[in-house]
Amino acid sequence: MPISAPEKLLTVDGLHAGYGKVEVLHGVTLHIAAGELVALLGPNGAGKTTLLRAVSGLLPWTVGTARFDDVSLCGMSPREAARAGLVHVIEGHRVFNHSSVNDNLLLAGFDLPRRERLARVDEALTSFPEIAAKRHELGGSLSGGQQQMLAVAQGLVRRPRLLMLDEPSAGLSPVLVDRVLAVLAQLRTSGTAVLLVEQLVEKALAVADRVYALAQGRVVLTADAHEQGLTHRLEQAYFGQDATTLIDG
Amino acid sequence: MAMDERVQSAPSHDAPRASLGDFSKGLPFLAILALSMLLPLIGNDYWALIATRASIYWILVSGLNLIVGFAGQLAIGYVALFAVGAYTASVLAAGNVLPALPPFAALGAAGVVSAAMGVVVGLPALRLRTFYFAMTTLGFATIVTQVALGWQSVTGGGIGLSGPSLPAPFDTTWGLYGLCLGLAALCTWMTANLAYSRFGRALVATRDADVAAEANGIAKPHLLIGVFLFAGAAAGVAGGLFASLQTYITPDAFTFDLSLLFFIAVLIGGRGSILGPLLGTLLLTLLPEMAAPLAAWSTFVYAALLLIIVLLMPGGIATLLDFDNRRVLSDNRVILPQPAALGQLLAAARPATGLEMEGVVLSFGGVTAIDGLDLSVQPGQVHGLIGPNGSGKTTTLNVISGYFRPQQGQMTLDGTNLPTGLPVLRAGRGVCRTFQTPRIIGAASVLQNVMVGGTITGRAGFLEAMLSLPRSLRDERAIRMRARLALQAVGLHALENVRADRLQHSELRFLEIARGLMLHPSLLLLDEPAAGLSAEEIKRLGALIKAISEHGVGVLLVEHHADLIFEICDQITVLNLGKVLARGTPAEIRMHKEVVSAYLGA
Amino acid sequence: MFASIIASGLAMGAIYALIGITYNTMFATSRVMSFTAGQLGMLGGVFGSLLMLRLGLPLVLGLPLTLLLCAGVGIVTEFVAVRPVLKSLDQHLYVLTTLAVALLIQQVTAIEWSTEPQPFPRLFELGRDAWDEKYWLPVATCAVTISALEFLYRRTLIGRAFLAVAEDNFAARALGLPERTLRVASYAMAGAIGALAGFSGGQLLLAFFANGQLLNFYGFIPVALGGLGNNRGAIIGGLALGLFQQAANFTVGGIFASVAVFVLFIVVLLVAPQGLFGAPASRRV
Repeated sequence: MPISAPEKLLTVDGLHAGYGKVEVLHGVTLHIAAGELVALLGPNGAGKTTLLRAVSGLLPWTVGTARFDDVSLCGMSPREAARAGLVHVIEGHRVFNHSSVNDNLLLAGFDLPRRERLARVDEALTSFPEIAAKRHELGGSLSGGQQQMLAVAQGLVRRPRLLMLDEPSAGLSPVLVDRVLAVLAQLRTSGTAVLLVEQLVEKALAVADRVYALAQGRVVLTADAHEQGLTHRLEQAYFGQDATTLIDG
Repeated sequence: MAMDERVQSAPSHDAPRASLGDFSKGLPFLAILALSMLLPLIGNDYWALIATRASIYWILVSGLNLIVGFAGQLAIGYVALFAVGAYTASVLAAGNVLPALPPFAALGAAGVVSAAMGVVVGLPALRLRTFYFAMTTLGFATIVTQVALGWQSVTGGGIGLSGPSLPAPFDTTWGLYGLCLGLAALCTWMTANLAYSRFGRALVATRDADVAAEANGIAKPHLLIGVFLFAGAAAGVAGGLFASLQTYITPDAFTFDLSLLFFIAVLIGGRGSILGPLLGTLLLTLLPEMAAPLAAWSTFVYAALLLIIVLLMPGGIATLLDFDNRRVLSDNRVILPQPAALGQLLAAARPATGLEMEGVVLSFGGVTAIDGLDLSVQPGQVHGLIGPNGSGKTTTLNVISGYFRPQQGQMTLDGTNLPTGLPVLRAGRGVCRTFQTPRIIGAASVLQNVMVGGTITGRAGFLEAMLSLPRSLRDERAIRMRARLALQAVGLHALENVRADRLQHSELRFLEIARGLMLHPSLLLLDEPAAGLSAEEIKRLGALIKAISEHGVGVLLVEHHADLIFEICDQITVLNLGKVLARGTPAEIRMHKEVVSAYLGA
Repeated sequence: MFASIIASGLAMGAIYALIGITYNTMFATSRVMSFTAGQLGMLGGVFGSLLMLRLGLPLVLGLPLTLLLCAGVGIVTEFVAVRPVLKSLDQHLYVLTTLAVALLIQQVTAIEWSTEPQPFPRLFELGRDAWDEKYWLPVATCAVTISALEFLYRRTLIGRAFLAVAEDNFAARALGLPERTLRVASYAMAGAIGALAGFSGGQLLLAFFANGQLLNFYGFIPVALGGLGNNRGAIIGGLALGLFQQAANFTVGGIFASVAVFVLFIVVLLVAPQGLFGAPASRRV
C-alpha cells in the first residue's frame, strides 16, 4: 500500500479484534479523511461497536494496522488517543450520574490546564444550550436525550480532530436525534471529521458524506452517501443476497 | 484430517466401576494407601505421629475440598469447625458438662455439632458473593478462638483440657494411626464417589457457570447444604481425632495458620481434583517437618505459595498430573453433526402442545423492555425471534426461562401454567436453553459438561451417590449414555475427553446445544447460536436445529444471521421496542415493508 | 460504667469505621474487597510504635512516616495482588491474592516485630477517664478523615475523577481519565486511612501483629451493614458495632459479645444482603 495520502486522518487496514476466543472483526479496512462525516452502518452484531473500541484503544488487538494521523494506534490507550485528537463517545449515553453536568464536562478535560479546561467546557456547551441551562444538575437527573447531548459535549471538550460516536440516536425521540445530528453536521463544517455508527440509516445518510456497511465482521459495502440505489444495496447487505429478490418481487 | 465419523468405542468407560473412574484413576490412591500401610513396618513413633496428623488433616481437607475445590466457595476459616469438633469430643468425653459419653460416641457427636455449625456458617454462601462467605468463615474462626479462651468452665480457657482417650486397640500410636488412616481412606472414597457423580458435576457447574447450572435445574442451596453438612462432619470428626492424638488441647492448637494449611492444600492440589489436594495435604504437613528452620516461617511460606499458585499456576498440582490434556488437538477439526443420533436421544414422545405467551409486560424501572407480547411456539417447529438491538429478544428468552418476572401476562407450556420467575424449575418442565456467551465449565471435560444437562434425571440421592450404591451407578450409566448420544448428534463425540476450555468458540456453541438436548426438551431456547460461526458451520447448525425440531421439539431461535433465520424457521416473530412488529412465515416477513424499515431504522 | 461504655464503644466504633472506609476506598476504584484492610490498621499501630517508641521520633515525623509507609504497602498491594487478577474479577481470585498478601504482612510483622503486644506511646497526654485521649483520638481522627474525604470527593476534580472511576470504570476509561493511576492512588489513600485507624487507636489496640485479622473482620461488618462502597453507611455501621460490642462486653461478658456480634452479622447478611444502605444487586443474565 502506498503511503497514505495526507488528507487521510484515520486508516484501518486488515484489523482483527474480538473478545477472548471470539473474533468479531475479521479484517476490517477503511479510512476517513480530515473533515469528512462517515457513517458506519450494519446489522446487529456486525462489529461496529467493536471496531470503534479497537480504534480508540478500549479493546486491545494485535492483528492488522490502524493509524491516526500516521501514528500507529496499536497499544495506544484511550487517554493517549484522546490527546492525539481521536475521541470516542461510547454507546448508551453513559455519563456520570452522581456528578453534575459541569463536573462531567470538566472530567472530560481532566488533563488540560485549569483555565483551558473551563474555557473548553463553556465552548462545548455553546452547542447544547439545553444542557447549558442545567449545568449544576446531576448527570443522572437528565433525560436520555440530554444525557446523550452531554456525552457528545464531553467529546467536544477535547476539541477532537476525529469524533467517533456510537449510536447517539439510541433511545432518543426523533426531534432530539435531529438536534444531535445537526451538531455533527455543524462540526464537520468546522473541519472536524466524524465517524458515526447509526441504526437509523436514512437519518445517517442524510448527514454523511460517505458510508461503510459492516456485516459479520467485514466491510461489505462502501459508497458515497448520496449514491443512487444505496438503500437497496444496504438491504442486500443486511438481509443477504436472496432476500432482496423477494422484497422486489 | 477430519474426525472419525464412527462412534468411538471406549469400553473402559462403560465398565461398572464408574465411581472412581478408570482403574488407572484409582491407582495413585491405592499406591498412597499401600505406602501408608507399610509405614508401621519401617517407621518410628515420630513418623507415626506425622502420618497420623496427615491422615487427620486429610479427613478435614477431603470435605473442605468439596467446598473449595468443587463448589468454589472460599472457606478460609475451617479450623474453627476443627476446633469445635475437638472441643465437643473432649468436653463430652470428659463429662464436665453432661454425663461422660464413650469416646466414640463423643467423636460422633463432634461430627454432628460441627456439621450443624458448618451449615450455619455456610448460610451466607447460599445467597451472597464469595467474599462474604470468606469473611464469615474468617469471623467464625476468630469467634471460636475467643469463646474457647473465654468459656473457662467448659473449655478450660487458656489452660485447656484433655482429649478423649480411645479404647483399645486404638490407644496405641499405631492403633490410632490405623483408625485415622482407615477413616481417611473412607473419606477419600466417599468424596471421590460424590465428585464423579451428578452431584460433583453440579457443584462444579455452580462454581464455573452458575447461571447455566440454574437453567439445568441445579438447586444450589440444596447442594451446598449437603456439602456443608458432610464437610462439617468430617472436620468435626477430624477435630475429635486430633484431640485424641494431642491428648491435651488448648486454643493455641487451633491457630489461623492451621486453617490456612487446609485451605491452601486444596488450592495447591488444584480445584476439582481429589488426588491433587491429597498430595497438597501431604506436602504441607511434611514440609515443616522436613525443613525445621522453616517452622517459624511456615505461614509465610504457605501465603507465598498461595500467591504464586493463584498468579502463576491456577490449576495446581492437578494440572501437572493431567497428561491427557497436554496432547495437541488437531487445528482443522470439523464439527459434523449426526442428526441420526437424535432418533435415539429424542425417541420417547413428550405430550406437547407448545409454549403460549399472552400479554407479557416487563419493565425495568421506568423502561418497558417487553410491552404486551403474545408469542406461540408450536412443537416440532422452529420459531425465529428477530428484531433490532434492544427490541427485547433476549429479554423474552429470559422471561421464558424464569430469570425475569414480568409484571403482567400469562405463560403456558404444554397446556399447564408456567409460573413466572423460578429459573431452577424450568429444566424440570422441559425448557432448555443456550446462552449468548456460552456458559460452560472450562475445567471439565466435554462429556462432563454435557452430562450436567442430565443432572435432574438422576434418582439416587446425595448419600447414595457418596456410597456409590447401585441406583447411583445406574443413574451415571444412563446419563453418560445419553450424553454420548447428544455429543454424537451435535458432532463433538471425538472430543468427549478434552477439557472444554480447549475447544474453539464454535464448538462451545454446539456443546451447549448438546447439553440442552440431555433432558429431551419440550422447548429449546437458542440465543444467537450462530454468532461467531463460519458460513459452513452455520449451515450445519441450521440442519441440526431443523432436525431437532423434526423430533417434536419446539425451538425458539434468537438470531441475527438473516440467512439462517429465513432458511430454517417455520414461523418468525419480529420484535421492535418490545412489541410484535410482524409475524408470519419467512416468505411473508421478507416482504413485510415495515420489517425492512425497522432493520434499516427509517 | 455508662460513660466508659460510650467512650470505648465510640472509640472502637471509629476504628472499625475507618477500616470500613479503607475497604471502601480500595473497592471503589477496583471492585475488589481486599483482606489487607485490617493489616493496614495493624501496621499503623506497629509503625507508630516502632518509629516513636523504638526509634524515638517525634509525632510530627512519626505520623507522616507511618502514613507514607502504609501508603507504600497499599501501592504494593495494588501491583502484586490486585492488578494481575482484575481481568477475571468474576473468578474472585482477588480474595486469594489479597489474603496471601495480608498473611505475608502479618507473618513478617510477627517475626520481625514481635508476637507480643507492644506499647504505643501517648501522643498528647490529654484527658482522663472517659475523656482520655485513647478514646477521643480515634473518634476525632475518624471525623477529620471523613471530612477530608468528603471535601476531596465533592470539591476537587481529582475526587470527582475517583467517583467517576468508581461509578463507571469503562466510561471513565473511554473519556480518557487516567484510570490506572487513579486506582493506584486510591490504594495509597486506603493505606494512609488504614494507618490512621491503627495509629489513632494505637493506645487501645497496642502494636500487635494479630490485630490485623481482628480488624479485618470487625472492620468488614460496617461495610456489610452499610453497603459496599458507602462511606456514610460504614461510619454509622462502625459506631453502632462499637457501641453494641462494648455494651455487651460490659454487661454480659466478652464471649457472648463476640457470639452476638457474629450472629447479628449473619442475620443481617441473610436479611439485607446488600447492606442496610446498599444498592440492589446487578442482573446476572
